[in-house]
Amino acid sequence: MGAAADITIDTARAAEGRPLLALEGVSKRFGKLQALSEISLDFKAGEVHCLLGENGAGKSTLCNLIFGSHAPDTGLMRFQGREWSPSGPAEALQSGIAMVHQHFSVVPRMSVVENLMLGQARGRLRHREQAALIRAMTAKFGLDVNPDAIVGELSVGERQRVEIVKCLMREPRLLVLDEPTAVLPPEEIGALLDIVRRVADDGRAVILVTHKLAEIAKVADRVSVLRGGKLVTSLPMQGTQMGDLVRAMVGREVTSLESALASSLAGIARAEKQGDGPHKYALVCDGITVRDAGGAVRLDNFTLEIAPGEVVGLAGVEGNGQTELGRVLAGLSPPTSGRFFIGEAEMTHASAAQITAQGAGIVPEDRHAVACVTGMSLAENIFLNKLGQFTRFGLLNRTALTEAAKGLMQDYDVRAAGPEIAFGSLSGGNQQKAVLGRELTLDPLVFLLAAQPTRGLDIGAVEAVYRQIRLAASRGVGVLLISSELDELIAASDRILVLYRGKVVGEKPARPDQREAIGALMSGHA
Amino acid sequence: MSTLALPAGLDRNALLKRLLQLAVPLGATAAALVIGLLLIAISGRSVADAIEAFMDGAFGSAFAIGASINRAVALALVGLGFILAFRANLTNVGGEGQIAMGGIAATAMALHGGVASLPLGPAVLLPMLAGCVAGAAWGGAAGYLKVRFGTNEVISTLLLGFIALLLVYWSVQSENLLRQPRTSSSTLPESLPIPEAAQLPALTPFDESPLHIGLAICVVAAIFTAILLSRSTYGLKLRAVGLNELAARRAGMPCNLLLISALAMAGAFGGLAGAIMIQGEQYYLKAGFSSGYGFDGLVVGLLSRGSAIGVLAGALFFGFLRSGGISMEIMAQVPAALTLVIQGLIVIAVAGSVILLEKLETR
Amino acid sequence: MDENLAVFIASTLRLAMPLILAAAGELVSERAGVLNLSLEGMMLTAAFFGALGSWATGSPVLGILCAVLASFVVSVVQAVLSVHWRANQLVVGIGFNILALGATTLLYRIIFGGLSREEIPGLAKLAIPGVSDLPFIGPALLQQSVLVYFGLACVVLIWWMLKSTAFGLSIRAVGDDPRAADKAGIPVARIRFQAVLIAGVMAGLAGSFLSVADINTFTENMTNGAGYLAIAAVIFGGWTVWRTLGACLLFGAATALQFQLPAIGIEMPTALLLMLPYLLALLAVAGVVGRRDPPTALTLPFIRGK
Repeated sequence: MGAAADITIDTARAAEGRPLLALEGVSKRFGKLQALSEISLDFKAGEVHCLLGENGAGKSTLCNLIFGSHAPDTGLMRFQGREWSPSGPAEALQSGIAMVHQHFSVVPRMSVVENLMLGQARGRLRHREQAALIRAMTAKFGLDVNPDAIVGELSVGERQRVEIVKCLMREPRLLVLDEPTAVLPPEEIGALLDIVRRVADDGRAVILVTHKLAEIAKVADRVSVLRGGKLVTSLPMQGTQMGDLVRAMVGREVTSLESALASSLAGIARAEKQGDGPHKYALVCDGITVRDAGGAVRLDNFTLEIAPGEVVGLAGVEGNGQTELGRVLAGLSPPTSGRFFIGEAEMTHASAAQITAQGAGIVPEDRHAVACVTGMSLAENIFLNKLGQFTRFGLLNRTALTEAAKGLMQDYDVRAAGPEIAFGSLSGGNQQKAVLGRELTLDPLVFLLAAQPTRGLDIGAVEAVYRQIRLAASRGVGVLLISSELDELIAASDRILVLYRGKVVGEKPARPDQREAIGALMSGHA
Repeated sequence: MSTLALPAGLDRNALLKRLLQLAVPLGATAAALVIGLLLIAISGRSVADAIEAFMDGAFGSAFAIGASINRAVALALVGLGFILAFRANLTNVGGEGQIAMGGIAATAMALHGGVASLPLGPAVLLPMLAGCVAGAAWGGAAGYLKVRFGTNEVISTLLLGFIALLLVYWSVQSENLLRQPRTSSSTLPESLPIPEAAQLPALTPFDESPLHIGLAICVVAAIFTAILLSRSTYGLKLRAVGLNELAARRAGMPCNLLLISALAMAGAFGGLAGAIMIQGEQYYLKAGFSSGYGFDGLVVGLLSRGSAIGVLAGALFFGFLRSGGISMEIMAQVPAALTLVIQGLIVIAVAGSVILLEKLETR
Repeated sequence: MDENLAVFIASTLRLAMPLILAAAGELVSERAGVLNLSLEGMMLTAAFFGALGSWATGSPVLGILCAVLASFVVSVVQAVLSVHWRANQLVVGIGFNILALGATTLLYRIIFGGLSREEIPGLAKLAIPGVSDLPFIGPALLQQSVLVYFGLACVVLIWWMLKSTAFGLSIRAVGDDPRAADKAGIPVARIRFQAVLIAGVMAGLAGSFLSVADINTFTENMTNGAGYLAIAAVIFGGWTVWRTLGACLLFGAATALQFQLPAIGIEMPTALLLMLPYLLALLAVAGVVGRRDPPTALTLPFIRGK
């Protein structure tokens, strides 16, 4: 035992000079998108190396290259001194690189031990020996995992620890964690960071992908900032100022997107704040709190008032309570406590149908799961919540439905071969425009929730989506815009609230000069 | 270049695809029939005689045709119910139990509902209605278990099916229920025959044809189903719930109600089939009166790929196949079990060719 | 009374035995995510070929081998269709049941012709020396067909396999979460295929028990729903081995009681006794009595990336 520890320390010491993994001018392109360009980076044993950057900066792509899920177009990788061009994740695992993904792959109905033996064990299972091994490992790294627990009964944080244990059982030299804190409730994050620290102290290299500065401050030995697929800077953590990192991550020239959006939206009149409409408020949230099945607080005392015609942006890295808020407002699951009102009518425990009838349009963040039925036609999806309008004596008037769908396709610029085409065959942008059109043509329409409305869309579609949202606001609709894309929020909103770890941590006017301040709030650096 | 006149919305490729989709099950059926004939040859009987006997039994007389069609009516009703529930992505395995419940309820109503003294219309309709209600309750129960407890409907309808079959057995075993009064030790465990007033009127003026108005009812049911599935808003909602329940709920659809009603309707069709079997041909209830109809009906429904016309065609085919088989046994000494072999082969071949259809669709 | 009880226990075990054998195999298959409605057909096929083999060779052991082989062939086709070709498991199962009923009846008529109720060489009862003559226990428990002891050993083996081997772990994983299993490097289709074959072999033993070990003859449709009853036992057993074994014994007892109750002067509708297994299974899946959920992926074909 002691000998083994000595060897580990020796290797760590020997490795101090040369990197465990070295990237030399690595580039990767997906279609038109240059995901990574000319990245050169070193990862050393015993170090926690944080990759920092906004959405789409190229962090996940970089991890996937290292783990063998993708191959780089150009450039060279070296692992333990040898050229590294893995054929796939299997080779990476065999060679000593393990990765904890955002989506877990554990069998919920089996115990922790069984999950860890799955695909590893041969012949007879040795539950007890394996459980002892796990206990030894969890003790060593401070992972609090009961080997006999059924995985399905564990909290998200515990499940993630199972994934980590699964990786560590393979004794990897390099552990990659892709946004591990995104799925965790705030109180579990600290424990995870401790584990990360211990894994590195054990002589392994750790790559930690994150959005959040606070986490970096706690564990990082080295920080590399990516932006638009390029490496902006790579610094040792010691002596680095948080402000510099914020600037490296978000502070920069105004992009073409931002200016294009700003000028496109500038022409749309802003509604009178105190309108003469029937409602004083479009939406009122009064202390909405959501706990998950494990009892952890996911959204904490969320309070907000949106006036008719106002667009409020809710900024925040994904996984900070936005999903939970979206589900509550859509009528899919009631809050644990708190209330909310749409046009002054309480909707806290209302069904989705009642919320729609009260005049709330919902563009949910998970389009495919919640907003549409991909196996049905475009026309059917456009009127999914208004089928009654086309029904007489129980029969559906398809001619009228198709004609109406054509009209909406024109109004909202949905490009498709025809209204009868399968919804699933449309591009993401056209799907989203159709969903948006459906929700914006509700009558009455008092409030619109648009959650991550531009995810996966190309720039033309992004602009169209925000144009429609602003137009709706100019007609007196109150809008809650949830997004992790700060540029878009600044261009499209009137004011911006920042959600961090389930709490509103600040409010700023939606102006480009506030970008750095908002970015700092989003990353937990207040 | 002029193009061939095609139905609206169909280009030539789509038409070709449709034809191929039709060709796969037909090919499987043909192959199964050929195997059947080979088996006859192997067993040393004359193939020609067997075919003649088969045709005679299936189409040879007004009686034969009528009996085959009556059989097909029951299969078609179960099949129609199956495709209704299947539209909501629910697999109703309990057709046989739903027939059984319909049979019990119709018999009870006909014997003890005082219908004998009613005029012809109500006397016939009331037992049928009772059959529908009982079947609907049996199907709806599975729907309720699904939305309330999340019980897999495959398992619940299967189990409810066996329970219903034993309820029939119980009904005709106990004199407190539907068994005819025991007059001697040879009194069979059956119900009394239902009064004449409750028996389905014949459809044709020919005395020898057993064909009854069940056929007309079945055609109406098929049209109703076709309209419900392809033209009604309800049918569209069933599809939405079946494809994506969460999105359907977000769009304001009453998902639980839709799921329960879909299974209840499937059950009602099965119950109606049971009532028609009792009122149209059998006239009294006995254990195992529904034997095989439920699973055959399921197969007809599944092989039709959701089309009401497909259900009718499949039901007629199976109906004639069984009748012809019985005749083969009597006239050509070929065991009727051969038709079971052929039918089993058809079911397996058609179900197994799904992967071919999938490949066609993705091409 | 004592004698009645001994007869009751003996007949319970005898009636439960084919259920136990078939249910143990079906349990494995269902844990891997494949529901074989064809269990009934497999058993019937096995019963026939067991009888045929035993009659043709004069050896009951060879007869049982024939039975297992026949049922195995059926399970291979079922597995290819439902696992590899992703055909609807239920429909394929129903098809096999129709086919098996037709084919065994047909072959029986062709081969045995006029000879009805042909007696076939049966399997010897194994009287365990020394203890089998014990009063009460002897006749009740220890004078059973060899197949009973062999079958019970198979059940123990299956329990151990599911719980304590990597193969068993893989079976449970592909039935509960094929996607996660696939990611962990488990060959989902191959494991499911093998699980269906196990169901086939066990159904073969179950079928041969009926014809070779129990009544020493074949009759048309002699399984008469035993396959479905075995499936109900798996459901009532909550997809665990010991509870399924208990369910089979309970179902066997219910069937035995319908002959026993009149003997001791208790009037009870036999239909109710026969219904009990299905009713209990239904209550179990509805969660009324100790809720157990089926394997999550039961009856669902697996396609990678979908």
